[in-house]
Parts: sequence; structure tokens; C-alpha cells
Amino acid sequence: MRKRILVTEDHEDNRRILRDLLSSAGYQVIEAVTGEEGIRFAETQRPDLILMDVQLPGLDGYEATRRIKSNLALRAIPIIAVTSYALSGDDVKAREAGCDAYVTKPFSPRALLVKIREHLPQDPPGSSR
Amino acid sequence: MRGWLIRLVARVPATVRAKLLAALLAMVVLLIALGVVSLQALNAANRRAEELAKLQEKLAAYHELQHGALMQNDRVSMALMVPSEGAAARGRPAQVRQRAQLEFELLLRQVDQFRANFDRHRFDVKDAAQFLGPVSEESHWLSEILTADDQFVKTVTQIAEAIRRGNVTEGHDQLVRAAPLADQIELATGNLAVLADAQMAASIRQSRAAYLTSRWVVTAFAAASVGLALLLGYAISLSLIGPVNQMDDQLRQIASGNFSRRVAVENRDELGALAANLNRMSEELGRLYRQLEDASRYKSEFLANMSHELRTPLNAILGYTELILDQIYGEVPDKIRGVLERVQNSGRHLLALINDVLDLSKIEAGQFTLSFNDYSMADIVRTVSTAVEPLTAEKNLALRVVVPPDLPRGRGDERRITQVLLNFVGNAIKFTDAGEVVIRAGVADGRFLVAVSDTGPGIREEDQQRIFEEFQQADSSSTRPKDGTGLGLTIAKRIVELHRGRVGVTSSPGQGSTFWFELPVAAEWEPKA
Repeated sequence: MRKRILVTEDHEDNRRILRDLLSSAGYQVIEAVTGEEGIRFAETQRPDLILMDVQLPGLDGYEATRRIKSNLALRAIPIIAVTSYALSGDDVKAREAGCDAYVTKPFSPRALLVKIREHLPQDPPGSSR
Repeated sequence: MRGWLIRLVARVPATVRAKLLAALLAMVVLLIALGVVSLQALNAANRRAEELAKLQEKLAAYHELQHGALMQNDRVSMALMVPSEGAAARGRPAQVRQRAQLEFELLLRQVDQFRANFDRHRFDVKDAAQFLGPVSEESHWLSEILTADDQFVKTVTQIAEAIRRGNVTEGHDQLVRAAPLADQIELATGNLAVLADAQMAASIRQSRAAYLTSRWVVTAFAAASVGLALLLGYAISLSLIGPVNQMDDQLRQIASGNFSRRVAVENRDELGALAANLNRMSEELGRLYRQLEDASRYKSEFLANMSHELRTPLNAILGYTELILDQIYGEVPDKIRGVLERVQNSGRHLLALINDVLDLSKIEAGQFTLSFNDYSMADIVRTVSTAVEPLTAEKNLALRVVVPPDLPRGRGDERRITQVLLNFVGNAIKFTDAGEVVIRAGVADGRFLVAVSDTGPGIREEDQQRIFEEFQQADSSSTRPKDGTGLGLTIAKRIVELHRGRVGVTSSPGQGSTFWFELPVAAEWEPKA
């Protein structure tokens, strides 16, 4: 069974890049546009990993992460925060919110894949790379 | 009391000049008053001296009178010793008469002289009495002397006439009757002398007491004057110095950027006006400063927003490019790959520029926050050397790292220090075509010293300071222009300075360059106020 990754990202191009990258790497991609949607999909779809953009309109990525991590049923899902460049203290904030890791935009797609594999329990079968 | 007086002086609605003038005048008035009091004391002393002189005169007069009375009495006794008529008859009457006549002549002369003296001294005494005030006891004795002497003179005159007639016996008899009068006069003059002596002694005592009193008064007055003058001077100078100090303090506060303080100066003179102006200036400066701060904040907010807005599409461009290059969308012909790599390089350069501009604008606005944690300088050097290894390999340069094994752990912003070192090493590799790049780290006197040496073209001395300024690279005519934002060294310098450290370069053309930075092992983060 393919691993499923929930991408919470408001920017369409970024979503598409992640979708193209992750699906080409053999993952199934679930897309959420807002923080609220991200939480809802985390509850209903139970993804294997969440990529969380921190700068979301309304409920931001940190708060969404906090809420997901406070749900006992969901807290085991690894969350990788995607932070903007150079906002000092984002690493600390990400860790405090409960993120398991963070990558800084602009991320190299290859580096992101490495980080995702680190936090998934095992390599997904059928990976093309 | 003290503060009250100073406040009172401060509140007087007069100019400083008027206050100083008033104080000076007050002191002059005090001096004049002191002079008047002293003069009065002097006058009193003088008057007492005159009194004493008069008394002395009177005393002398009384003593002379007393002496005269004594002499007169002596003469009476001598005259009484002249043998009487009866005795004369037994001896040689002519001789006796002659002697009696002689004695009585002498007595008469003495009586006349006493009378003359008495009259003279009576005027003196009257004069003294006028001056000193009448003394009843004295006039009693004087009138007694006068009465007794009138009678005595009359008697003696009769005796003299009797003797001249040759009647010695009658003269003798009358003299026996007159002798008590002479005694009475002598007693009275004696009493007068005693009285005058006592007066003199009393007067000397009084004069002494008066001298002591006036000395005390003058001294007290002088002391009070000096005290008052000091108090006045003190109050005036403090009422001037206090506000000046306050305003000095206020100016210091303004100089250090605190515009919220106001001086409370109660003076209603030039200093009060100055303080009011100072307060107004402080307020106006504060307002301007806040406006500037707002403007600066708007600027950096704008820059932050703008760079975010710029980065979002740029991220998409870079992301898609990389996906295409990774052949996620299918085969990429070599011709297109080359062009795409150029797109990717330009995009990355643009991103670096945007990031550097954002960093720098934050530094300028004082909003560049460092997050201080414990770090290992050895780890930073390792991270950087690992990161640049592919670049040195590409250019066939040797990369050497010299780090002592016992380097202590430091405190600072690890990510930013890494950025600084990465910038130095990146520059060294960029500008060096052959040879080696050496990273040295060490610690001395509680400070890390990290140096990056290369065997590149070197930098002319006149360019060495300039290269740490914005958008400056060493003169491009002497070196091949290199890509880069031109902001890296400026940002590196600011980051090191925020750690209370320093950056520098030693270099000479053709000899390579050494860029170094040094910072405290345990740096403290002090955000800008």
C-alpha cells in the first residue's frame, strides 16, 4: 500500500510542485488549502505524514500542528513544518508547536524527499527513485 | 526649611540678574547695618570714657578740697597754739602778738585759698553734675560745706580784724569757737572724696560691663550677618544649580534616547523658561523619534512583506525548474537542460539577493533578532567545510581545517555564525583559482578567533575597508568580476558586531587574503531598545 502524505499549503503552485514531486516518488498525496482543512483531513484520512506550511491564512501551521498533536489518535503522525526563509526563531517555534522536523523554503525537492523518508516508518513500496 | 527657602527663591518671579542684584544689595545692607551697630557701640564707649574723665576731674577736685580743708584745719591748730594774752603778759607781749599776727595771716590766707578753691570746684562739680546727673548726697555735703564755710570765713575775718587791732585774746577765743567748723568742713570734704571714689569705682565697673555687652552685640550681629549672607547665597546658588543639574540630567537622557522624561523646574526666571523650552524640545524630539521609528518599522515591514511576496513566485519557478531537471515531467533534451540550468542559477541568485536585502534591512531597522544558544565552534567549522567541499573539489583547490581539539563551547547564534563563516569561505573559494583555502579557529582571552586564508589575488589596501560596505566588491579592473550579492560581507560584519565581535581582513595584492572574525566565547544578546 502506498504511503499517504497530507500537504497543507495555501499556494497553488507550491501545492502542485509538491504533488508532482511526491506522486512521482510514489506517494499518495492528499491536499489541504487551509489549516482547518488540514486538521479535518488529518482526522478523516489518517495520513502517514503531514507537510505543514506555517504561513497559512487564518489558522496558521503552528496552531494546526498543536491541535493535531493534542489529539491522542493523531499525535503519532510525523509533521514536517515548511517555514519561510530567515524568520529567526522559526525552528524554535516549529519545535515548540510539536513539529518533528522543518524545512526552509525554498526547499530543494531532493532534500525534502530525504527528510520525508527519514520520518516515515519505512520506504514506500513502488518508489520510482 | 532648606528646600522651602530654595523653592521660595526659585519661585520669585524675577530674572536671575535681578535676584543676584537683590542678594548683593541685601549683603551690602547687612554690612552697613553692621557698621552702624559698631559705630553705636564705639560711641557708647567714647561717652563712657568722657564720663570717666569727668569723674576723674571731680575726684581730683574733691581730693584737692579735702587737702585744702586739712591744711586749713592744720592752720587753725597752729593758730591755737599761739599763747593767749595772759601768757603773753608773762613773757614778751610784743613777740607774742607778732607771732599771733603771723599765724592768723597764714590762716587767713589759707581760708581765702580754700574759699577760692571751693568756689572754683563748685563750678566744676556743677558742671560734672550737669554731665553725670545730680547726686543728692553730694549736694547735701556741698551745701553743708558752704554753710559751714560761710560761717567759718565770717569768724576768721572777725578774728583777723581783732588780731589787727592787737586783741590777740579775743581772736584766740573766737578761734576756739570756730575750730569745730573747720573740723566739720574737713569731715564733709572727706565724705565727698569717699563718695567720688565710690562713684568712680562703680563707673569703671559699669563701663567694663557695657564694653562686654557691646562686644557681644557686635559679634552676634556680625555672625548673624555672615550666616544670613551665606544662607542667601546658598539658597540663590542652589535655586540656580538645582535646575541646571536637572536639565543636564534631562539632556543626558535625551542624548541616550529617552524622550519621556520632563524636568519639573519651579523657577520663574530664565531657567524656568529654559526648562520649559527643554521640555518642549524633548517632546518634539520624542514625537519626531516616534515618527522615525514608525517610518522605519513600516519600511522593514514593507521589505519583509515584499520579500515574502517576491519569494513565493520565485519558489515556484525554482521548484518547477528543479522538477523538470529531475525529469519528473519526462525526458529533458540536453539543449533545454543547459538553458534550464541558467534559469535555475539566475533564480537562485535573485533569491539570495532578496534574502540578503531582507537581512540587511532588518539589521538596519534594529529588528534583526539573534537566537542565542550553546554551540560548538568546531561543529560550525566542520559543517561549513563539509558544505563547501564540492566547490573546492570542482576548482581543484585544497581545503585545510586547523582546529585545536580542546576548543570550548560558545554561546551565540549558531546559524548566523555559520552564515558568516560560510560567507568568508565561499568568497575565498570564489576568488581563488589555484592553491588552497585554510580555515583556522582558536580561542584566546575568552574570545574565538576564526580566520579564512586563501591564495587568491589579494585585495589592495584602499579596498579593504570598502568591501565591508553595501554593494562593494574590490575594484573589478584588478579582479575578475564575480557573482554574488555584494551584501554578504556587510551582513557578516553586522552579525559579528551583534555578538560584540569584530571582523577584518589582512591582505596584499598577489599574496592572498585572510578574512577573520573574533567574538566573545560567551556572547550576550542585547536587543536594540
